[in-house]
Amino acid sequence: MAPSKIKNEEEFPPQELHLLRDIIPPTAPEPFYENYREGVPIALDIGTSSFKVGLTSANTPNNVFDSVIARYRDRKALKTLTIVGNDVYRDYSLKSSTKTPFDGALVTNWDYLELMLDYSLEHLGVTSNNGKLNNPIIMTEPVGCPLSQRRGMYELLFEAYQAPKVAFGIDSLFSYYANSSGTSNGLVIGTGHESTHIIPVLNGRGVLSQTKRIDWGGDQSQHFLGKLLALKYPYFPSKLNYHHTTNLFRDFCYVSEDYQQELNHYLDMDVLETKDIVVQAPVDITVSTEKKKTEEELALQAQKRREQGKRLQEQAQQKRLEKLVQKREEFEYYSKFKEEFPNLKPEEISRRLESDGFDDIEDFNKYLTSLEKSLKNAAHDQGAEEEVAVDPSSAWPLVDIPDDQLTDEQVKEKRKQKLHKANYEARERTKELKREEEEKQAKYEAEQAEWRERDFDDWSTSKRLQLAELISKYKERAKLLESFKDRKSAAAQQRMKNIADLANDETGSTSAASRKRRRNATSTIDNDPNDTFGADDDDWSVYRDITNVSIEEQQVETNNQILSLEDELLKYDPNFHHEDTFAASQTFDWKNSVLHKFIHGPRQNITIAMQAEGIDPEEIANHPEIIKKNHQIHLNIERIRVPEILFRPHIAGLDQAGISEVSQDILTKHFDGIFSSGGQSHSIIQDIFITGGLANLPNFTSRVVNEFTAFLPIGAPLRVRKAQNPITDAWRGMQKWAQNEQDSQSSYITKQDYEEYGPEYIKEHGLGNVCIR
Amino acid sequence: MAGGSRNHNGKDTTPVDQTNTDLHFISDITTKPHSFKQNPNRKPPPRRYKPVKQLISDEVKFLQTKNLAVDTPTYVSIVSPPSLRPSKNYCDITGLEGPYKNPANMLRFHNVEIYQEVIKNMPSGVDQEYLELRGANVILK
Repeated sequence: MAPSKIKNEEEFPPQELHLLRDIIPPTAPEPFYENYREGVPIALDIGTSSFKVGLTSANTPNNVFDSVIARYRDRKALKTLTIVGNDVYRDYSLKSSTKTPFDGALVTNWDYLELMLDYSLEHLGVTSNNGKLNNPIIMTEPVGCPLSQRRGMYELLFEAYQAPKVAFGIDSLFSYYANSSGTSNGLVIGTGHESTHIIPVLNGRGVLSQTKRIDWGGDQSQHFLGKLLALKYPYFPSKLNYHHTTNLFRDFCYVSEDYQQELNHYLDMDVLETKDIVVQAPVDITVSTEKKKTEEELALQAQKRREQGKRLQEQAQQKRLEKLVQKREEFEYYSKFKEEFPNLKPEEISRRLESDGFDDIEDFNKYLTSLEKSLKNAAHDQGAEEEVAVDPSSAWPLVDIPDDQLTDEQVKEKRKQKLHKANYEARERTKELKREEEEKQAKYEAEQAEWRERDFDDWSTSKRLQLAELISKYKERAKLLESFKDRKSAAAQQRMKNIADLANDETGSTSAASRKRRRNATSTIDNDPNDTFGADDDDWSVYRDITNVSIEEQQVETNNQILSLEDELLKYDPNFHHEDTFAASQTFDWKNSVLHKFIHGPRQNITIAMQAEGIDPEEIANHPEIIKKNHQIHLNIERIRVPEILFRPHIAGLDQAGISEVSQDILTKHFDGIFSSGGQSHSIIQDIFITGGLANLPNFTSRVVNEFTAFLPIGAPLRVRKAQNPITDAWRGMQKWAQNEQDSQSSYITKQDYEEYGPEYIKEHGLGNVCIR
Repeated sequence: MAGGSRNHNGKDTTPVDQTNTDLHFISDITTKPHSFKQNPNRKPPPRRYKPVKQLISDEVKFLQTKNLAVDTPTYVSIVSPPSLRPSKNYCDITGLEGPYKNPANMLRFHNVEIYQEVIKNMPSGVDQEYLELRGANVILK
């Protein structure tokens, strides 16, 4: 088995590794705008993901930076530092204090926002002689901007900066404006950081009343991906941060053109080979400094240990011998002394005993007998026990002679002989049994051989049938054992009932009680009022009797039977191969394992392979390849699973309609639904426009084409396109709009308007929200 | 611009601690007095900031005071309605099709292997994490 696995492994080239990307600190500081002029409108696209800011006299935003701010207390300087945007990433210590002024899509911390605007305007080179901001402001705001948001923004712009006039608009509509004539019809799909909007456009003006928002965007996507990966690799050694997951999402996720189809075949080996992405987290593989001992060294060590053991043994032996000699001398001395007893006076005896440290004569006798015993034992140990062939007829002459004909001495001897004889007989019996067993085996073999000779097919089929029966029995018992683990399973419940019954019977329940129990058949084991199990502590001993050990033993036995049957078949049946054995069917083939391919991609997990080769687990854990492998992430199904949420929000538990369903609803129900020439819907579907960060996902447009084609009538003139630059086109639209005075001039709100009409007021200009007054 | 260049000069003369000076310099861009923001009459803004949930509920209350046309687009009214299309079930663990459901914790799974290897040996609490992904977890209050 093992060699073939290794050979398979060699067929695959190693997979391409992608490095896990964190944020790259900006090398250059945020640029300052050189050509500031008073009166030129300033466009501020303040997205929840990034700020795009610039004077509209330029063609591109001067500053594009992440919407983050870090406040950091420098204790030495006794000063709180405020770092904004990309500058935050220039110092590692700011990482933990990085915050955003937004909560979801809305501004919640106006202090932060104000600081960020200060930072933006400083970088645009804004200066003033009158303490006021002397440039009109064009700014983005959320679709259906809540009053509190606009009020906050008005207060900032008119009261803090004292801006002369302000216009608000919607980022995706500005993006569409940048990419169209300004008077066309279309449908804008604006994918944002926090939400996705679908806005129909007629004559260049957004139809806000038919707009829908799906509460899913780039931030939710990266967060979802992070959670998926945390669950997929629960023991991943390094933590993935926001930038890691965002980069993974940006680099490797794509919209599936046909989700169902692609999903069904994603884990097929050939498909997975092309689609599985391996991401390597940075890992420091330090080869352990403690050099591995060579085999020779190990052998030398073992040798040393053996020698030491031997020496110790010898020493102990020596000590024992010395003690023995001492004991023997003592024994001889004391026995001689004992023999002298009759010749000595009692006073003399006790005096000598006392001088030798004995209490009295009894103590002395005791000591002497113990000495004798230990000497005898030692002699017994030394004389090796050799199996001597005995003649049963003459070896034990005393056994058959009655006791009364013997002397005391002989009775003792007879008892010994009896014991020996019994031992001898028992040995003979087991020998006999063994011989019989062997004979039986030989006979069975002969029978089998004869059977094979006579009708091989019959032999083979019957053996195979037997094998199948055993295997099914084995499996059934395995299932039973498994179900016992679950306390609620039917088998376990039945077993508990049996146990309770048994316990009841053992405690001697009267027939009346059991009848009563039977009458209460509806009562279950949990609420039987007559159940007194446990009242007596001995009841619990029933558990000791009814363990599952017997089943396990049976299992082992069945397994042995299976093995012997398979041995026979392997030996004699040429059509029965190793692959057909039960054990082979139980072995794991990773190529058929969905889970293995999902987690480890289209390569065998080398940990399993190494375990199969029987390598020491500690060595496996420290193997550099394994450490590297443990820092790898395989992206496969997630690559399409996460972007799919835009089309099926229910995947992420969002009870909202997806992009295509909302679009279908808008096109067929909220507009005229006429897809032939002249219809409103007809003109709208000729310009489906995708913008926002997620528009950069590969295949987004082709998927939208597929989805729309599915509900549009055949031949409808569908055209789907992506913004030129989905991220900065909103700013470009603002710039274009500002320069087109015809469009923009009448749309600004002056400070006077604000003071007169209040924060609810805005002027409707087709690219912004409607005024709710 | 003038402010920026002045600070540049200041930085050049004190090259003691590069990162620290750097941060102080960057911070000053934001926190120094701005020539375009000098309004002596500005009232200090209220300190208390509401979380987004409260902002939305305030907005709902505000909109109720208005007599709005049915199709007026507001922050709450433009939310995409619940889907009417039949939803497919997917495996909570792999994302593949998930035709089966474990009645014990309602996790959906792709095949018996996922059940045997993952769901059966799942540490307590992990099932809820999986369910949370699709908003089906039990929330104890």
